[in-house]
Amino acid sequence: MSNHPNAPLVPTAWATIGPFFPQTFFRDGDNDLTRLAPDAPQTAQGSPIWLTGRVLQEGGGPCVNAVLEAWQADAAGRFRHPRDPDWQKADPGFFGWGRAWTDAEGRFAFRSIIPGGYRDATGLRAPHINLAIIGSGIMGRLATCVFLPGFAEANAADPVLSSLPETLRPLLVARADGQGPDGAPRFSLDLPLRGDPAEETPFFED
Amino acid sequence: MQLPDRFDPLDPATQPVVPVPGYPNTIRRNPSRAPFRRSLTRTELTGPLDLSAKLRPGDDNLAELAPGRMAQGQLIHVGGRVLDEDGRPVAGAIVELWQANAGGRYFHPIDQRDAPLDPNFIGNGRTRSDDAGRYGFFTIKPGAYPVPDSGRWWRPPHIHISVLGPGCLMRLVTQMYFPGDPLNAIDRILNSVPDAGARARCIAHFVAPEAVMGDWQGFTHDLVLRGRHATPPL
Repeated sequence: MSNHPNAPLVPTAWATIGPFFPQTFFRDGDNDLTRLAPDAPQTAQGSPIWLTGRVLQEGGGPCVNAVLEAWQADAAGRFRHPRDPDWQKADPGFFGWGRAWTDAEGRFAFRSIIPGGYRDATGLRAPHINLAIIGSGIMGRLATCVFLPGFAEANAADPVLSSLPETLRPLLVARADGQGPDGAPRFSLDLPLRGDPAEETPFFED
Repeated sequence: MQLPDRFDPLDPATQPVVPVPGYPNTIRRNPSRAPFRRSLTRTELTGPLDLSAKLRPGDDNLAELAPGRMAQGQLIHVGGRVLDEDGRPVAGAIVELWQANAGGRYFHPIDQRDAPLDPNFIGNGRTRSDDAGRYGFFTIKPGAYPVPDSGRWWRPPHIHISVLGPGCLMRLVTQMYFPGDPLNAIDRILNSVPDAGARARCIAHFVAPEAVMGDWQGFTHDLVLRGRHATPPL
């Protein structure tokens, strides 16, 4: 292979197969769960936060051009969907869903609010953000659930988090990581898709 | 709006087996550990009811970039229904589609193959299923392309499709194939699905020309989001 700077890039085998999403599918604001549309105002309810991190593949390299989709309850723990018995009381200014895509370093960012906890048939749910990861090679989606620090008691009692082996639970709790560009608190969590079993992100069946 | 009320576990025979030979990302990016089972409760069963404010539909003609700027290739229409576990139509689902051009190249910075780009073809679109669950796109038939460093594996002509139904469990990312293409039988991605019936559900049906209302080839392709008849995720 030539090292000449003008030599054409040689695609690797992964480069031209699998679903790599068109970048035109992403607009500014798609990663903001607090707005009903990218040009709508942010909801007035709840404490704004950022959720950021990196998606990593085997060996710790970045998982580039992956899609992340987030879904969470509003500040009072309600979902705007008939499967939630209180759905008509859900915050009408909060969308609760967003999409982000990873950059060359595997980084993603969502803007949201701290979700509320709630009680359902399985018990008392701690505040959490559902994440699904889609990308070349994944074939379908990888579903997981991110919890926040500062809710130690609720996290310990959460029926989903506490169903995991104890050593894996910290892998789904984001860490406080300063502030986002607008001053809102930022929480970060890296998501290694494959690797050392002690570090690999726990995923859930759909 | 009628919402699906049953979400049985996915049948493993309909799910692709990874890794796929010659597709390194299926090794690097799939967990070594089986996913944990959890009860499906409110948080998994809900989801955005109407994504169209955020993922705006209305982009269902990939064949004409702008008035008079027609893409190269065979003009086709791909349409069908989005269905739930029980075969009921899913209204209001967002359907996204992307594909290579007639020469088998994607308009994407990652695709640096030496096949030509078509200045009149970007190759992605987005629409929304109607009250009967129907969706449709005008586009051109994508070209096949060889997968580099894979031992003479060619991807058959295929279209990537992403569906977002009214709930996070109604999420499908798949690929649609064309009937009768000799590359289908040896496509490693299609063949990663164990069940022959499930593989067949990834292949569109040709519409007889006399049933087509215009000068394009018609294909129908239903997208089943869950259940025994689910379209496999690819």
